[in-house]
Amino acid sequence: MTARESARCLGISLEELEDWQCCGAVFPLATDAIINLASPFRTLASAHQAGADLVTLCSGCLNVLRRTNKLVAADAEIRKKLEDFVEMKYAGERKVFHLLEVLRDETGFDQLQKKVVHPLDDVTVAPYYGCLLLRPAEDMAFDHPDKPVIMGEFLRALGAKPVSYPFQTECCGSYLSVSSVDSTRQAASAVLKSAQAAGAQWLVTSCPTCLYNLELAAESLDEPPRLVYFTQLLAHALGVDAYLEENGALAKNVMPEVN
Amino acid sequence: MRRIGVFVCSCGLNIAGRVDVQKVTDAAAGIPGVVHSENYKYMCSEPGQNLIADAIRQKRLDGLVVAACSPAMHELTFRSAAKLAGLNPYMVQMANIREHCSWVHRDEEQATAKATDIVRAAVEKVRRDQPLEPTRIPLTKKALVIGGGIAGMQSALDIADAGYDVVLVEKDATIGGRMAQLSETFPTLDCASCILTPKMAEVARHPRIQLAMCSRVTQVAGYVGNFTVQITQAPTYVDWEKCIGCMDCQERCPSRLPSEFDRGLGKRKAIGVDFPQAVPNRPVIKADHCLYLQKGRCGICEKICPVEAVDFQQQEKVWEEEVGAIIVATGFDVLGAEAFAEYGYGQYPDVIDSLAYERLNSSSGPTEGVIRRPSDGEIPKEVVFIQCAGSRDPDKGKAYCSKICCMYTAKHATLYRHKVPDGQAYIFYMDIRAGGKGYEEFVQRAVEQDGALYLRGRVSRVYEEDGKIVVKGVDTLAGENIEIAADLVVLASAVTPRTGARELAQVLKVPADQDGFYNEAHPKLRPVETVTAGVYLAGAVAGPRDIPEAVANASGAAAKVAVLFSNDELENEPLIAAVDESKCSGCLWCVPVCPFDAIEEKELIERVGSKEVTRPVATVNAGLCQGCGACSVACRDGAMNLKGFTNEQILAEVEALCLMTGSPE
Amino acid sequence: MSHDWQPRIVAFACRWCTYAGADLAGTRRMDYPASIRLIRVPCSGRVNPSFVVRAFQRGADGVLVAGCHPGDCHYIEGNLFTRRRYSLVKRLLEYLGMEPERFRVEWISAAEGARFAQVVKEMTEDISQLGPNAKMREQL
Repeated sequence: MTARESARCLGISLEELEDWQCCGAVFPLATDAIINLASPFRTLASAHQAGADLVTLCSGCLNVLRRTNKLVAADAEIRKKLEDFVEMKYAGERKVFHLLEVLRDETGFDQLQKKVVHPLDDVTVAPYYGCLLLRPAEDMAFDHPDKPVIMGEFLRALGAKPVSYPFQTECCGSYLSVSSVDSTRQAASAVLKSAQAAGAQWLVTSCPTCLYNLELAAESLDEPPRLVYFTQLLAHALGVDAYLEENGALAKNVMPEVN
Repeated sequence: MRRIGVFVCSCGLNIAGRVDVQKVTDAAAGIPGVVHSENYKYMCSEPGQNLIADAIRQKRLDGLVVAACSPAMHELTFRSAAKLAGLNPYMVQMANIREHCSWVHRDEEQATAKATDIVRAAVEKVRRDQPLEPTRIPLTKKALVIGGGIAGMQSALDIADAGYDVVLVEKDATIGGRMAQLSETFPTLDCASCILTPKMAEVARHPRIQLAMCSRVTQVAGYVGNFTVQITQAPTYVDWEKCIGCMDCQERCPSRLPSEFDRGLGKRKAIGVDFPQAVPNRPVIKADHCLYLQKGRCGICEKICPVEAVDFQQQEKVWEEEVGAIIVATGFDVLGAEAFAEYGYGQYPDVIDSLAYERLNSSSGPTEGVIRRPSDGEIPKEVVFIQCAGSRDPDKGKAYCSKICCMYTAKHATLYRHKVPDGQAYIFYMDIRAGGKGYEEFVQRAVEQDGALYLRGRVSRVYEEDGKIVVKGVDTLAGENIEIAADLVVLASAVTPRTGARELAQVLKVPADQDGFYNEAHPKLRPVETVTAGVYLAGAVAGPRDIPEAVANASGAAAKVAVLFSNDELENEPLIAAVDESKCSGCLWCVPVCPFDAIEEKELIERVGSKEVTRPVATVNAGLCQGCGACSVACRDGAMNLKGFTNEQILAEVEALCLMTGSPE
Repeated sequence: MSHDWQPRIVAFACRWCTYAGADLAGTRRMDYPASIRLIRVPCSGRVNPSFVVRAFQRGADGVLVAGCHPGDCHYIEGNLFTRRRYSLVKRLLEYLGMEPERFRVEWISAAEGARFAQVVKEMTEDISQLGPNAKMREQL
């Protein structure tokens, strides 16, 4: 909701895909694990049928969908198998974007800045990229895999003060939160501590899995940075959160109070 | 009718292991015109060559096909053998049944059939060959050496000592190259300056060596023995003829900039030399940082120069040199900051590369040889060296080993312990490659006597925390994750060709590999030559090299040049274009397609009946023609042909190959 | 078409790049189909379109013209002639009904042994699918 309303505010029309399904969550590395590609393939093909490019709000989805898209365009054999299996035609004609990319490349961060009504005055925010958004760099072509800037620029456009810290591209622990909670807690804690040491009041993420894992780790830390999703910040800065609240779509307290 | 001999080589089992050599020999015997056909284990050996010579004499052969390896390998060998036996060397054709056949096909039957086809095509080609005589061309006994590092200097000195003139082109304001930046050298820990600077002085005062400083080679025309080279010299804004090298200007210049020579660790002035021992010891103005050239203010150097040598009006200078041979010794760069974001290089001042570490070690460097970390000048107590930074890493586009890093890192760790006895050096490595005289012993000494701690594994991340540089990596031998809070991190960055090497390769028409290193004519047997006759390689231009190797290379290349210059004339390949004047209509379409301007118009005087008429025809300048054959395709009359690759010969090869032995039909 | 039918491919290889690249494929012992036969020419710019046509007339199932990458020509610009010339010839051949897979122009450098082997494999596979060349072939 925050994303849709924000996008509307910025003049981007986002249509929710009818009958959408999970992206598959993990891009299979085994070349014969074609069945794992069926789900993202169907998502892509549906978008194609709907006649639009695909935008996602999640790093993990972007990773799976973009790599699937590239593979389908490049490998006729795999494409054929998927087409037969899903019973839909699709050859990689569409593009897949993360909403952050749309904001950067379509709207432009300078334009975004002009639309901000509630600037996040001088809150220090740690951008957290994690791994799936950036890597493999060749496939994702998103930003510099080790020195990304997009979220920093996004935050600056919203009036916040991004802080740089060494763990911004480390893994959060990902799906290990299912099988080995301790490992995840360890990985996510390292990220939070690194951001904390850099003086971050908030930490912003672009992936629900990261958010979940970071929340898990935050429980056992003293005064961890507050965790927010980038669309929440966006909605707040653009002033659409008031509208959302009125419509009951955004519960109170989702946006952390500015200190 | 020709009398052709076919000689099939088994090449030990290299050919015979996949091709039925006897079958090929028998098939060849059945081709019309073939009067002799035999095979032998090693045709290129002396007994093999004798077999050929005997057959030429006894059977009065006037054409030869040697079915063996690639012509790049042994065409010259067999042509020479034929010549000795009294046959014109251009009546020899190689049938390449090794590289193009036995080595690349698994199926014995198919390989034998293909070998037979290749032999048949070669027979058809040699049937249409004509005896050719090389033309003789004069040569200029003067060499061009590109690059004034240790390799270029060694080449220049050797050639000059042999009695020939040399033009040494160097892009910087001093010779010495990379070696001038080094502190000590492995494995002897000789002081680099002590062995290099005398050589630099020797180059500068050698009467046969002409230095072209701050210069680049921008165009090359011509061919072996007769190159015309365009040299472009950047303005130095100081008249070096007038300058006496007092360096008062450097002393008084108010503008400071990071010294490139010191890898940005020290400062230099906008006017001055790279380092005090520079040769020639003459200052240069860095235009980008000169207050006068940028803002029209200052001009102190001009005012105080006792000999009025400063010249702000100086322009770029372009001139041409005629030379007979070219040695390329452009050396190497190292992979830059953009490649190492994960190591924080370019982000944290205390993450430096090995060349910067050499400058820290150098007694003429920014810290006068004391190891101090760049951020706060403290003496680092824990130093982490990361080997293979970019090398052996296809993700960074460098799959190759940079070869010198294992050794210089061992040297760095050794020198570090000598200078900081209570310090600890850690070295992350993949493998230790210490092949070379005294090299392995040197590495062992670093471990056993100088306490270098080698950790076999890669580093995943480097970041700053509480004034330390935290290095996270893995020790694969212990199976443990390692975290070191270091004071200084040194990256052994991958060796790459010099920036601009690729462009120079195109100017020189020398092929480079995918990494930009120049290709040798043969990686084993012709390591200092290129496929372009008269262009030679010395040092790291052809791949990562250490100093002794670069010097050996350089002397090798110089010897090749000296051999070339020992001739008074050169034989030109007679495989050049020729005009059949009776067919030429004088349209001269061939003239614009010739890349070498080798075709001209000529007036032909003919008698038609009782009248004398003149008509224009094309004529080929044998000295300029390189034998590419572009004109022969452009010719609408079929009057232009290429000797050794005539239309008739190529068509005959096409026909022979289309017959294809063994294809079931 | 007999079961073990193998296409015959005639290749014109520039001696500086592609011929040397094929040598490299040999030195590295790469394995590729025995369908190809090379003719060594000084430059891909030496290859007269009539040579290509003759090969097809005499029953070649495919023809490859290969030289140095544009910009790397030993003779400065020979391969630029090749590039222009054969973009026309290729269209002409296709106009005459020749399948595009049967005629290829490739840039293969002396360092690209693997690329040479790959091109031979691709052409052999493509042409095997098509079967023998019947279009321009003279009845012998």
